Amino acid sequence: MNKWNLVWLLAKREFVERGRSKAFLITMAILAAAILAIGPVTSALSGGESEATTVGLVGDSLPGVDEELETQGALFGVEIEVTRYASMDEAESALEVGDVEAVLVDNKELVFQEKASPGLTTIIIRSVDIVLTEWSLSDLGLSDAEIAAIEEPAPVSVSTIEESNVQDDAKQGAAFVGAILLYVSIIMFGQFVAMGTVEEKQNRVVEIVLSRVQPWQVLMGKVSGIGLLGLVQLAILLSAAFVSAQLAGFTDIDIAAIGLPIIAGVFFWFVLGYAFYAFLYAAVGSTVSRQEDLQGAIILPIALILPGYLLAIAAAENPDGVVVRIGSMMPMWAPFVMPVRIASGSAAPWEIGIAVIGCVLGSIALVRIGSRVYTGALLRTGTKVKIRDAWRAASE
Amino acid sequence: MVHTGAVLSMTGIHKQFGDVVALRGASLSVDRGRILGFLGPNGAGKTTMMRMIFGLVHPDAGEVSWNGAPVDADIRLRFGYMPEERGLYPKMKIAGQLIHFARLSGLSKADATDAVHHWLGVLGLGDRADAKLDELSHGNQQRAQLAAALAPNPELLVLDEPFAGLDPIGVESLSDTLRELAESGVAIVFSSHQLDLVEDVCQDVAIIADGRIVLSGGLDEIKEQSTRRRLTVDVDGAPWIPDLAGVEIVQAQGRAHCIVPGDAPVAEILAAAEAAGSVSRFAFEPPHLTDLYRVAVGP
Repeated sequence: MNKWNLVWLLAKREFVERGRSKAFLITMAILAAAILAIGPVTSALSGGESEATTVGLVGDSLPGVDEELETQGALFGVEIEVTRYASMDEAESALEVGDVEAVLVDNKELVFQEKASPGLTTIIIRSVDIVLTEWSLSDLGLSDAEIAAIEEPAPVSVSTIEESNVQDDAKQGAAFVGAILLYVSIIMFGQFVAMGTVEEKQNRVVEIVLSRVQPWQVLMGKVSGIGLLGLVQLAILLSAAFVSAQLAGFTDIDIAAIGLPIIAGVFFWFVLGYAFYAFLYAAVGSTVSRQEDLQGAIILPIALILPGYLLAIAAAENPDGVVVRIGSMMPMWAPFVMPVRIASGSAAPWEIGIAVIGCVLGSIALVRIGSRVYTGALLRTGTKVKIRDAWRAASE
Repeated sequence: MVHTGAVLSMTGIHKQFGDVVALRGASLSVDRGRILGFLGPNGAGKTTMMRMIFGLVHPDAGEVSWNGAPVDADIRLRFGYMPEERGLYPKMKIAGQLIHFARLSGLSKADATDAVHHWLGVLGLGDRADAKLDELSHGNQQRAQLAAALAPNPELLVLDEPFAGLDPIGVESLSDTLRELAESGVAIVFSSHQLDLVEDVCQDVAIIADGRIVLSGGLDEIKEQSTRRRLTVDVDGAPWIPDLAGVEIVQAQGRAHCIVPGDAPVAEILAAAEAAGSVSRFAFEPPHLTDLYRVAVGP
């Protein structure tokens, strides 16, 4: 039988057995549900599709104030709806549940629930002011046309030098979510590799397996089988994120245009990052013989991954920072940081090139180091094997 | 020891782990169609030798060959191995994982499935094929382990302590299975501390002590060639010990026996026994394996 056919057999077993395990299924169900919920929940919390701002009126009010509020709102770019309340009690309860933003009482008092909004305050005060002025002017005998001329809004136009780009913000946000997903996935599936390695040592299956195949085949089979499962999980979670974004109903964002490159990027960087870390996880996993000892052993990969996560957060804020730029080109951190920088458009092609080449070379180095430690430590049971001893044992 | 039928040969094996010398030029050969009992005290190097056949440990010096050719990964696919540390996947179904292992040994899916169900049937696990390993009793787990070694239909079967933990019925059925396999041409080597059992099942033995093979060959030949004999005499219904230079007393089968030089004066001893009383038993025979073992391994 071909050497790689054996690797495929081993990979298939890892994929099927791990994919069937409760630990995997439950974790994935929770993650998928959480991601599906994020879109609709945030959209609900932020008030959804830019709804109108409601202003309540209680008690005496000037005729025409409703229309003026709407007119002034439009000038300030806010859609305002007016609701009348029969009593202050009613108005207050409406404020409490958020049905109304502010309540104008007897044209004299403006009530907010918790914090006064300066913009809304300006609009309301100005509307009341205009209506009152109109009345006074009308009392003075001015015609409607004359009043309109006086009340003509100041000819000041508002503009920004840079056009606000919601697409870019959404892209960076999505890239950051992708980076978090990568971080979670690499840690999760790296752990599966380490756990699987220890399980086989603890159950003594390893001797049965190694009497038939070479250690490198076991290692490749395990890493690729679990990696394939990782890709499947990523596909499911990214689909959930896609659906979640659709459910959130961002009307002004092209979800497919932003989502698809990010999804492709997450897969690409997952393969690179997972290849790098999986062999490290296998190596440290092979040095212990019991699951209880595993937590201590995987401190090494976790300590390497964590700065990558922190750098990804930093990159979302400032993709051009020196530390972020350097970190994005280091093989152990590139998979987390570089996608965020690429999304922000700050990564130069040569920087991406260094990151990718570094990841590939780093993975190759770790395959070799990891395989050797794995081989040397696999048949040693009992106490924790020192990485150095395992390295030496492999040459015996 | 040279047998014409030797298929597996291990010659001049040296192995050192750190400062500990495990094997000092040990040699072992296993014949086609014969069963070799591999004996020795704990830590003498049995498991290391067996692991070497499967490339799990590499010798510092010496050779492992199969029909004269160095053993490599392809040749190893013809070997079946049951390690001392029993191990299968606890949460996988028996048949499923045995098929997986058989396929790792190079069998096609169909052949692996057939072989696994055949051996599970032979070993009395036919109705437990779809049970998970951790649902089986200890004895049945042991049988499943043996089925894993047998499923690839190996030409060489290496079993590390296969009888450990089996009940008498289990011992008998495993013995029968091994004899049948040997008759069909399989070369078998197994390690054991149960010398009576080895005497019962094996044609050949090899005894290892302190990293060296101290005694090896066909069991009958070794016994015949021994310069000692076992003498068992009952006088008036009780064990009787002759007054003779070089007599060694051993306890076996719940009674005392004498180990005497092969040229001991049998007629004189019998006369002395008859003078002492009524002789109901007088046996002068080749030493038993336990006697040979004791001498070979030393105090």
